[in-house]
Amino acid sequence: MSFTDFVNLLINGTVEGLLIALPALALTLVMGIARFPNAATGDYMTISAFAAVGVQALLPKSIVLAALGAVAAGIAIAVVFHLWVFRALQGRPLVASLVASIGIAFLARSVLTFFVGHDQQGFQLPLVRAWNFDGIRVLPTDLIVAGVAVAAMAALFAILHLTPIGRQMRAVADNPDLGRASGIRVRRVLTVLWAMVGTLCALGGLLFGAKAIVTPEFGWELLIPAFAAMIVGGIGSPVGAVVGGVLLGIAQELSVPFVGPSYKIAVAFGLLLLVLLVRPRGLFGVATAAR
Amino acid sequence: MKSITRRDFVAAGAGLAAASAVPGLALAQTGDTFRIGSLCPVTGGGSSYGAGMQKAIELAVTEVNAAGGAGGRKLAVFAEDGQTKPEAAVLAAKKLIEVNKVQAILGTWSSGVTLAVMPLTDAASIIQMNTSGAPAISTQDTKDLVWRFQATNDAIGAAFAAAAEKRGFKTAATMAFNNASGIGNTEGFKKAWTKKGGKVVGSVVYEPNRPSYRTELQQVLAQKPDVIVMGSYLPDSTIILREWYQTGQDVKWILPGWAANPELVKALGNEVVEGVIAVDTVSNENAASYKNLDVQYRKAMGKPISSNVYAAMTYDMAISLALAMEAAGPNATPLQVNAKLREVSNAPGVMVYSFAEGKKLLAQKQKINYQGASSRLDFDQYGDVSPDFGIYVIEKGQLVRRDVISI
Repeated sequence: MSFTDFVNLLINGTVEGLLIALPALALTLVMGIARFPNAATGDYMTISAFAAVGVQALLPKSIVLAALGAVAAGIAIAVVFHLWVFRALQGRPLVASLVASIGIAFLARSVLTFFVGHDQQGFQLPLVRAWNFDGIRVLPTDLIVAGVAVAAMAALFAILHLTPIGRQMRAVADNPDLGRASGIRVRRVLTVLWAMVGTLCALGGLLFGAKAIVTPEFGWELLIPAFAAMIVGGIGSPVGAVVGGVLLGIAQELSVPFVGPSYKIAVAFGLLLLVLLVRPRGLFGVATAAR
Repeated sequence: MKSITRRDFVAAGAGLAAASAVPGLALAQTGDTFRIGSLCPVTGGGSSYGAGMQKAIELAVTEVNAAGGAGGRKLAVFAEDGQTKPEAAVLAAKKLIEVNKVQAILGTWSSGVTLAVMPLTDAASIIQMNTSGAPAISTQDTKDLVWRFQATNDAIGAAFAAAAEKRGFKTAATMAFNNASGIGNTEGFKKAWTKKGGKVVGSVVYEPNRPSYRTELQQVLAQKPDVIVMGSYLPDSTIILREWYQTGQDVKWILPGWAANPELVKALGNEVVEGVIAVDTVSNENAASYKNLDVQYRKAMGKPISSNVYAAMTYDMAISLALAMEAAGPNATPLQVNAKLREVSNAPGVMVYSFAEGKKLLAQKQKINYQGASSRLDFDQYGDVSPDFGIYVIEKGQLVRRDVISI
């Protein structure tokens, strides 16, 4: 493998990892604060991406409006299902919310396909050629993907650690009852949380749609890799979700010259096992004692 | 927690009793319907065809029932979505067999799905009809209950090789979607291509549902082939061709027609797909059966039947099945119907182009030879047909047919 090939593979892996990082961020946020794995994360992405396709169909060429439409749809669906379903399940065992989220995933997808059908869709974006630096190919689209993922992670980190609402979120995550007793409005905090989750899903859906294609199933298919990224990075850690995603992506692509494309996914999950063996709480996870 | 009162218990008991009585009612079916399961790829990789395939089965069934049914029975359709996924299709097939008690399952599209469903239909001794290409379907069909309405992968691969030869390519690379059909097509191509003296310089097998295939592309493009031959589906082809265009390297493409279709052009724009070569089976376009189906299909789907070669195949499935039922006579079992399929669709016999025509001749004890909308529909000893192939080139966003070849 030449150096050029190596760098190209590294780029491919990083971009694939960053695509996974956004849903992983959404998952880890819910896992860390609302305390359940949200299996509907992928379908929130799908709905957002279709919202963008819909906006483009009505107002052609407007990429910015399409993106805004996607974010609005992402926030709307995340908040609505929180108020409608997840709020009622607060305090119940984790599995109740998990099963409900699987149900929401199926419901959302079925309603979506009822209206839009099963054909693949795409965004109307200008096609650009890759920049070629002596065989190392960099796609402008990939730079945008990387930029958005990194910016989302930074924004999330800033909100969680630098703003009052972030502090409240962390307090609620730690102990909801104590938080409520200290005067935190838990309802408001959770609504804001789900709006953030919706935004992350929408951004994830937009980037995936811009890079690949939009089908009613794509979000659901991304769920397992996103879960893996969250677990490798450490549950509840935003930095971990992004690093985990990128690590899995790079491991996967770099393994291709050795094991071939058919087994690259197995290599990524082998890495997941290895990380869990050595560091069960994940790379950036905080060890929590069972109470 | 509220404890269970005696009243609750009685109510629950009554409910249970009522519920258990219902299946008894459902089982008491009249013996004069033949139950067909439709298992088309409404979602997943085959979703551009699934809905049309299912509609074509319904059109054929309506036609048969309007002609008074087959073998004294009306046909009933129970539709499930195979999702182009073997796991989903197996669940759906189980439901069709065990709950709906179907006597035939029609319309499985991808080879992976057909291979997964075959053991179930074989175990239930019912008829299976598919549009899949994998050679293994012929060899695993030990009971002769499986009927293939599409060309085999070997034949499609040979058609790819013929197309590549016609265009004067010397070196080729292959990219295959990791399933029986994707690999089958590219392996079929390699066999035929090396026999013609062509060289295969690289090949990869890639996984479904990836956001990017740059690494896989990088591997084959590094070998600088004249042409890349794909065993692919629409979603992955869309991503791969876009990424190839972005790299800017010059190469030609040969794709199966189910991937290089108008949807691909719509998704990528005319510039990217200019010059892409598509190879697909050609329907029996001059037959009356095709023309009749075209009219009905346009009415039902708003599109010509030429937009969906598989719909023509599923239509033929239901019609040939009904003709076999008619030939087998009243109350024939699926096995007895199965035994008549070759008789009604192969030569010799009077050529017929519709169910009503065939039924009339069968009543006069004549031997018939159904000419399908999808092909001449002559089954060989494996239950396979050999349709013709068309070679298309995409020019300014249009699929232009250049040649028709018989393998």
